[in-house]
Amino acid sequence: MTTATPEPVPAVEVDVVSPDRREKVDKYGRPRRGRGSGNAGLGSRPGFLTYGLLAAFVIGGAYPLWWSYVVASGTNATRGETLPLIPGGNFLANAAQVLDAIPFWLALWNSIVISSTITISVVTFSTLAGYAFAKLRFRGRDGLMIFVIATMAIPTQLGIIPLFMVMRELGWTGEIGAVIVPTLVTAFGVFFMRQYLVDVIPDELIEAARVDGANQIRTFFHVALPAARPAMAILGLFTFMMAWTDYLWPLIVLSPTNPTLQTALSQLQSGYYIDYSIVLAGAVMATIPLLILFVVAGKQLISGIMAGAVKG
Amino acid sequence: MTSTLTPPTGTGSDGDDSRPPRASRLTWRQRISIFDVKASPYAYVAPFFLLFGLVGLFPLAYTFWVSLFDWDLLKGQGDFVGMENFWAILNDRFFWNSIRNTISIFLLSAIPQLAMALLLAYLLDQGLRAKTFWRMSILLPYVVTPVAVAIIFSSVFNEADGLVNNLLNLIGIPDQQWKHDTFLSHIAIASMVNWRWTGYNTLILLAAMQAVPRDLYESAAIDGAGAARRFFSVTIPSIRPTLIFVVITATIGGLQIFTEPRLFDVSNAGGIGGADRQFQTTVLFMWELAFFRRDFGEASAVAWLLFLLIVAFGLVNFLLSRRVATGDARGGRRAARRAARKGADA
Amino acid sequence: MKLSRHTKVAAALAGAASVALLASACSSDGGGTDEAASDEPITLTITTFGTFGYDDLYEQYMDENPNITIEATNIDTGGNARTDAFTKIAAGSGLSDIVAIEEGWLGSIMEVSDTFVDLRDFGIEDRSGDWVDWKYAQATDADGRVIGYGTDIGPEGLCYNGVLFEEAGLPSDRAEVAELIDGDWEHFFDVGRDYQEATGKAWYDHSGFVWNAMVNQLDEGYYTADGELNVEGNAELQERFELLGAATEDGLSAAQAAWDWNGGKSFVDGTFATFVCPGWMLGVVQGNTEAGGGDASTGWDFADVFPGGAANWGGAFLAVPETSENQAAAAALADWLTQPEQQVAQFEAAGTFPSTVAAQDELAANPTPNEFFNDAPVGEILAGRSVGVVAQFKGPDDSVIQENVFGPPLQKLDRGEVSTQEAWDEAIVLLDELVG
Repeated sequence: MTTATPEPVPAVEVDVVSPDRREKVDKYGRPRRGRGSGNAGLGSRPGFLTYGLLAAFVIGGAYPLWWSYVVASGTNATRGETLPLIPGGNFLANAAQVLDAIPFWLALWNSIVISSTITISVVTFSTLAGYAFAKLRFRGRDGLMIFVIATMAIPTQLGIIPLFMVMRELGWTGEIGAVIVPTLVTAFGVFFMRQYLVDVIPDELIEAARVDGANQIRTFFHVALPAARPAMAILGLFTFMMAWTDYLWPLIVLSPTNPTLQTALSQLQSGYYIDYSIVLAGAVMATIPLLILFVVAGKQLISGIMAGAVKG
Repeated sequence: MTSTLTPPTGTGSDGDDSRPPRASRLTWRQRISIFDVKASPYAYVAPFFLLFGLVGLFPLAYTFWVSLFDWDLLKGQGDFVGMENFWAILNDRFFWNSIRNTISIFLLSAIPQLAMALLLAYLLDQGLRAKTFWRMSILLPYVVTPVAVAIIFSSVFNEADGLVNNLLNLIGIPDQQWKHDTFLSHIAIASMVNWRWTGYNTLILLAAMQAVPRDLYESAAIDGAGAARRFFSVTIPSIRPTLIFVVITATIGGLQIFTEPRLFDVSNAGGIGGADRQFQTTVLFMWELAFFRRDFGEASAVAWLLFLLIVAFGLVNFLLSRRVATGDARGGRRAARRAARKGADA
Repeated sequence: MKLSRHTKVAAALAGAASVALLASACSSDGGGTDEAASDEPITLTITTFGTFGYDDLYEQYMDENPNITIEATNIDTGGNARTDAFTKIAAGSGLSDIVAIEEGWLGSIMEVSDTFVDLRDFGIEDRSGDWVDWKYAQATDADGRVIGYGTDIGPEGLCYNGVLFEEAGLPSDRAEVAELIDGDWEHFFDVGRDYQEATGKAWYDHSGFVWNAMVNQLDEGYYTADGELNVEGNAELQERFELLGAATEDGLSAAQAAWDWNGGKSFVDGTFATFVCPGWMLGVVQGNTEAGGGDASTGWDFADVFPGGAANWGGAFLAVPETSENQAAAAALADWLTQPEQQVAQFEAAGTFPSTVAAQDELAANPTPNEFFNDAPVGEILAGRSVGVVAQFKGPDDSVIQENVFGPPLQKLDRGEVSTQEAWDEAIVLLDELVG
C-alpha cells in the first residue's frame, strides 16, 4: 500500500502462467461460447447492469485523473469549480512553470536511472537465486528458502535510520547511488522466480544438458534463462513500479537539488504561494511516463498481477 | 560473477572425501565438474544473501543498537540509555495516537477496498466482451504514483472549495473539514489508498475466481441456489486463501503508510500529519522524530516497535492462512453442497 | 510557481526601480574580493531558498571575476532548506560552498556552529559596523565565532486592504491607517472589533502569524538571552497570548491555513482585512493575491505602523561550511553579496529588506512606489519599521515551538474548539512533550 510495499506475495503454491497458457486452460475448462464464463452467468450473458456498474466504476475511477488534467490546463480558479469537464488551454504554460519550479528533467532522469538499475539488479539476482532454489540441489537449501520466505514480510524500510548513517559514512548522501543500493535485491523476487521455475523447467531438461557436457553456467544460460523470461518480465515490471513510486527513502537521503521525480513533485506543493493548476500540471507530467508504460505493457502487468494470485 | 565469489571450500573436498577410492582416478576435468555442481548453487544464491544481509538485515539490527542510545541527528551518538527510549515511546501519547491513526486508516481502506474489489472481480468474471479493456480501465489508477495521488487528492479534499465539498454542496450538504477533522481526514487518506489499489486487488481476486471449478457452480445452480447464494457459499469460500493473501499484503503495506498522510496537508505544521497529528501515522511519527525533532534514538525505538507489530500481525495472518489453506481444498465443495442443500430446502 | 513567478513579483516589487539608484548606492568596493583575485579557475556552489533575487548578481560577479563560476541552487521554502541543511550537516558532506541560513532555525545551527567556518578569519570583523548591530550579534556563537554574513532582515509593517477598510467606514489612506493602528496590540484588536462589527468579517488571516509577531517583538521570546527555555510561567508571554485569545474568541481570526490561504483566494475575496508583513512577506502577499485571481486593484496596501512597536520576523545569513574546498573564495563571494550595494539590488529584485545600515539609508532616501501595494514606498516604510528592532535570542527549538507547540492550539482556538485558557494549557503540555 505504501511505496515500499512488497508486491503480491503468493501465499500458497503459485503457478505463474503466461497469458496465452492461461487462456488455453480457460478454454479447455469450459464450453467455448454460449455459457458465460462467470459463475453467476450460468447459461446467461452479462447484462446491462453488469456493464453499467463497471462503466460507472471506471468513469468514477478515471475522473480524478481527468480532473487533474482539466485543472492543470486551466487556472488556479479551475480547482474551485464544481465538476469541471473541459480542459483549458494553459497546460503547456503551466508545464513550463513546473519546469521552472523543480528540476524536472534531472528528476526524471534520476528516476529512470534508479528504477532501471534496481530492476536489472533485482531480476538478475532473483533469477540466479530462484533457479538455484528451484532446480539445484545443495546443502541447506530448504533452510535458506524458509529464511527467504520469512524475510519477505520484514519491512526493511524500517531500517532507514542506520541506512542513513551508513550512507553518511560512505559519503553517498545526496547521490542516487544511495537510493539504488538498499533495494538491489528483494526477498520477494527470489521467491517469485523460484515458484515460477520450479514448475516450468522439467528436471530432465537440466539433466540432459548436463549429460551433453554443459557446465552449470551454460545450463543456466541455455535452459533456465529462456524458460524464465516471461516471469523475469513480470518481476521487472513490478520492481520498476516499486522503485519508481518509492518516496520515503529518497526523501531522506536525497536533497531537493538532486531529486527523484517523486521527491521533486512533492516539493511543488510546499511553496510560499501555491498555484494549484501548476501543482497538478506537475502531477500529470509525472504520471505520463507510467501511463506510457501502462499502454505498452499493460497486458503483461495485468497477467502479472493475476499470476500473483493463488491457485485455487 | 561466479568467478568473483569464493565458494565454501569445504564443500568440494567433502564431496571428494566421501568416495576416496575413485577420487584418485578422477580427471582434472571431472574434478572441475564436481566442484562446479557443488559450488555453483552457492554462487547463485550468495549475491542475494550478501546484499540482503548488508542492506536489509544489518540496518534492522543496527536500528536496535541505535535505539539504546541518546542519538541526535546532528550531534551523533550520545550516552547509553538502555531501554529508556522504548519506555519514553511507550509512554508517549503521540506514539499511541499514531498507532490508532494507522489502524483506523488501515481498516477504512482495507474493508471497503476488499468489498469493492470482490464486487468488481465478480462483475469481471462474467464473460464480458472486451475484457482486456475492462481490466486495464480498472487498473488505471494504479499507474498514478502515491505522491501524485496525494497531491491530487489533497486538492480534491480542499476544505474551502475542493471537488468533494463542491459535489456535496450540490446535494445540499455543507462543506466538510476533510483535513481538520480526525475521522474525515482518515476517510480522505483511505480513499487515496482505495483509489489506487482497488483495481489491483480486483485483478488478484478475479484470477482466483477464474480458478474456481465451474462444476461447483453448476451443481449449486442445479440444486436451486441463486446467484447471491452461489457467490457467498461457493465463490467466497473457494477464494479464501487469496482473500487472506490480499489482507496480508494490505496489512504489511497499510501499517507502513507514509506518503499519503505526509503530503495530504503538507504546509500545516511541517507536514507531520495535521496540526493536531489527527492523521499522523506511525511511520510519519518516526520520520518526524528522526528528521524533524532530530532524535534518532527514539525514532529507532519506534521503528522496532512497529517492526514487532508488523511481525505479530504477519504471524497471526500466517497461522490463520495455514489453517484455512489445509482445510480448504474440500471446503469449497463442502460449502457448495451445503449451499445446494439449503437452496433445495428453500 | 518559483522562479518565473518570482521574476514577475520581483519586477513588480522593483517597480520603477531606477538604474540611478543602483549607481548611486553607496558601495565599499567589495573588500573581500582580493582573496579570490588569483587567476585559478574556481567553481563555487551556493544554496539559497525562497526569494533571494541573486541571479543577476551572480552574473555580475562572474563578469567581474572571470576565474569564478557560480553554480546556484534555490530551494522552494525556508522549511525545506532547513531539512536539506540539517540532513547534509548530519551526513557530514554535501553542503554547498555557501549556505543560506534562515533566522528561524539559526538557533539549531548554532548548536553545531563549528560546522561552519569562523568568518573572522576572512575579515568580517572589519565590516561589523556595516550591519545593524543585532544582525551581526545573531551570527556570533557562544565562543565568539561569527558564522554568517547577514543578508536581509524582516522588519514588520502592516499590510491592509484599503478597499475593505473603506467599505467598513475606516480610513484607507496609508498615513491615516498608520495613525489609526498606532498603539499596542490591545488597540489593534479593538480596531479589529470595530471592523468586525461593521462588516461581520475577520480582521486578520489566522492567529499563528499574529502570535509570531507578538512573540518576536519581545526582548526575550521562547528563550531567555542566556538560552534558557522561557515559556512556562512567562507572564508577559501569557498575557499576550490571552490578548490574542480574546480577539480570536471575538471572531477576529479568519482561521486560514498558513501558506495556503485557499490557493490565494482568501487574499482576494475579502476574507480578512489585515496581514502582518515583514519585508519578504510582501512578495508572498502579492504572489498569493495573483494566484487567487487578484491584482493591484484588490486593494492591498502597506502602512508604516505595527502594533506594539518595532518587530522583526525572519531574515537570513550566508555561511561557509568547513567542508568547503574554496573557503576563501566562498567567503569573498558571500562578503560581496552582502555589501550594501548588492543588498539594494537584492531588494529591488526580491523585496528582501537589507540588513546593512548604508543600504537601508539608501532605500529611505530614495522612495520608490510599489505598484501592487497602491504605490506605497515600501523600501522607505520598511526602513522606518526597522528602527528600534531588538535582537531576540533564538534557541535550538525555536521553530519547533512556533510551529508545533503553539501552532496546533492556536489553530483550534481559531476554529473555536478550545478556549484561550485551554489553548495555553495545551501549548504547555506540548512544550513539555516535544521540547522539555
